[in-house]
Amino acid sequence: MGLKGNAAIVGAAQYRPEKYATAPRMFHLEQVADLAGQALADAGLKASDIDGLVIHGPQFHEAQVFVPAMAAEYLGLSLNFAEVVDLGGCSSVAAVWRAAMAVEMGLCQAVLCVIPARMAPFGPDEDPSWMARAMRFGGHSTAFGAPEAEFDLPYGHMGQNTGYAMIAQRYAAKYGYDPVAMAKIAVDQRTNALANPDASFFGKPLSIEDVLASKMVAEPLRVLEIVMPVAGGAAVIVASKEVAARAKNRGACITGFGEHLYFKSPTYATEMTDTPIGPAAERAFAMAGIQRSDIHAAQIYDCYTITVLLTLEDAGFAPKGEGMRWVREHDLTYKGNFPMNTHGGQLSFGQSGTAGGMSQVIEAFHQISGRAGERQLKRCDTVFVSGTGGVMSEQGALILQGA
Amino acid sequence: MSTNKPLPTATEISAPFWNGLKAGRLTIPQCKSCGHWVFFPRRHCDKCWSQDLAWKEVKGTGTLYTYTLTRVPTLPDFADEMPQKMAVVELDEGVRINTTLIGVDESEIKVGMRVKPVFDTVSANGTALLRFTAADKDMAERIDSTPAALAAAAEAAASTAEVADKRQVRFDDEAAMKSLVSEAYSAWSNQIVVDQALIDEFAKLSGDDYWIHTDPERARKQSPFGGTIAHGALVQVLQSRLRIPLDYEVVGFNNMVNYGSDRLRFPAPVPAGSRIHARTRVKSVEKLPKGMQLTMEIVTHVVGSERPSVINDLVILYM
Repeated sequence: MGLKGNAAIVGAAQYRPEKYATAPRMFHLEQVADLAGQALADAGLKASDIDGLVIHGPQFHEAQVFVPAMAAEYLGLSLNFAEVVDLGGCSSVAAVWRAAMAVEMGLCQAVLCVIPARMAPFGPDEDPSWMARAMRFGGHSTAFGAPEAEFDLPYGHMGQNTGYAMIAQRYAAKYGYDPVAMAKIAVDQRTNALANPDASFFGKPLSIEDVLASKMVAEPLRVLEIVMPVAGGAAVIVASKEVAARAKNRGACITGFGEHLYFKSPTYATEMTDTPIGPAAERAFAMAGIQRSDIHAAQIYDCYTITVLLTLEDAGFAPKGEGMRWVREHDLTYKGNFPMNTHGGQLSFGQSGTAGGMSQVIEAFHQISGRAGERQLKRCDTVFVSGTGGVMSEQGALILQGA
Repeated sequence: MSTNKPLPTATEISAPFWNGLKAGRLTIPQCKSCGHWVFFPRRHCDKCWSQDLAWKEVKGTGTLYTYTLTRVPTLPDFADEMPQKMAVVELDEGVRINTTLIGVDESEIKVGMRVKPVFDTVSANGTALLRFTAADKDMAERIDSTPAALAAAAEAAASTAEVADKRQVRFDDEAAMKSLVSEAYSAWSNQIVVDQALIDEFAKLSGDDYWIHTDPERARKQSPFGGTIAHGALVQVLQSRLRIPLDYEVVGFNNMVNYGSDRLRFPAPVPAGSRIHARTRVKSVEKLPKGMQLTMEIVTHVVGSERPSVINDLVILYM
């Protein structure tokens, strides 16, 4: 069942993470075209090679609906497959496997996966306060009849911080909690960011003490365990073997994937501390036919340190309930025995909205294609990538292997 | 009474739940086919997909599944609840509910503790939220947290906390007056509610009837604050209604002149329905030929909010 590994990431582009206030304002269609052009140049392919599109749909500036057709028209592309993803932080991983599936089914030879995440310029009659209103409830729906509008918002349950904090608090009650181990996740990733000039926190070392002294936001989560939102945007090109053979880079073949979701609020999870990445990762490894120990690097979605910890456990790298000990015993840097988030992770790279998860996909591709600069791993043929949307509510996993 | 905290809007599906809370009863749908309890309310059982459900009253006792204490409010409007004691409660029937804890100290909160319901009326139309407290707490099952009720309670508490022995400071004793200068603020004043009626009166009086103050419907849809906010000038003049407890009293002068303000800032909005209070400190004292000039920084905050809504450096000349 599943993918044969005949589709590969062959090109990628992403904007350097920047503060929203100073980042260029570009229409989302303009960003899509710009990122696609950069990704094509990276791959050494031409626009006419692309015949498929997977695009992030929600909050697209220039259209509420019909986003793929509008994008195809704008780009000047003729498509055999178009797909919108709406899986929050899981969208990047989700876009890549959907593209791979379209390629393996023979629908497409090259699929553009793209997520614009810079702000658009405001029109003369455009009321920019809609953004402030959209942000006010942190992605929680306020629509009449939305369960979260009715049963979460009146109590102050909104956004992501408190949801993740409550998962961490339950974890602490079940298995114990070591703030130093949690801080170490952020610190090891910062060490990686110090070798990545594109990272937001490049050149800014971080210590365990710094993390533990940072402001408490929602117990037990401190501000340095929470991602910083930035403007950005990213694209990758997923191509068939035939097209990949003409591309400039060593391709990262998609040999396994998994996706799992069954709640929006973790309150309704069967058990809050057993996250959906479990079944998603299980499927991905089984599909690829490899073991956890075959992985040379893990690029793990990290909106919070607790997201990383639970993914390490539930994806099968660390024993359940022993993740904190496991983190203490492993060096998670690019020099270490479990290279993880070698670009710094989103915690140190910056989280460019829904494109944030693409930083993990692209880092995996850069490591496999041997272009990770100072942080390049000596050997990197097999990488695990995870994506997480909402509050651990939608999760996906990819296995990428060098061609 | 309006408030900018989001309130639930009952649907045809959920109405029995909210009507129950108003009456101090917790009712939840149960599947007649498989016995599964359904929360949040739906027309179908999310286990067996039967549409044969019945509303049943339950005791509301359960255990604390998890919680967090917020050190940054999830929305500025929740600043008066800091720290928010956000919780997930698992009822004895097995369903989980997002809620907040009340009537418990931070140190008493433990995952797995037994809890019981508290029906908390939060708006003048009777809308009640389902909160929980520790099972062993002696707490009323029904409470009133409408802004008016909270302000009245704070008023009662403030009136019993008047400073008994005020230090008397002669206005012309420069050294004594300068000793009043302090970085530290006084205790808080009484609280008052800035409701829509008050805002409307001020709009009429001042002629400033901009929609962000006076049109709740439009403000709910278009304002970045999610509702109407008070005029900065209104909140400024309301300082007259806020009695700040001071441990000193300036005496011996013939005349006291209000010279106006050296600095007036409105850093944070006051959403309609908010409770406000103020505190003060003496910022500087200067001996002038005409008399002794004292600059008092008066800061008004929405209750619980760290950012002031008004900063007013009031200049007073004692002669």
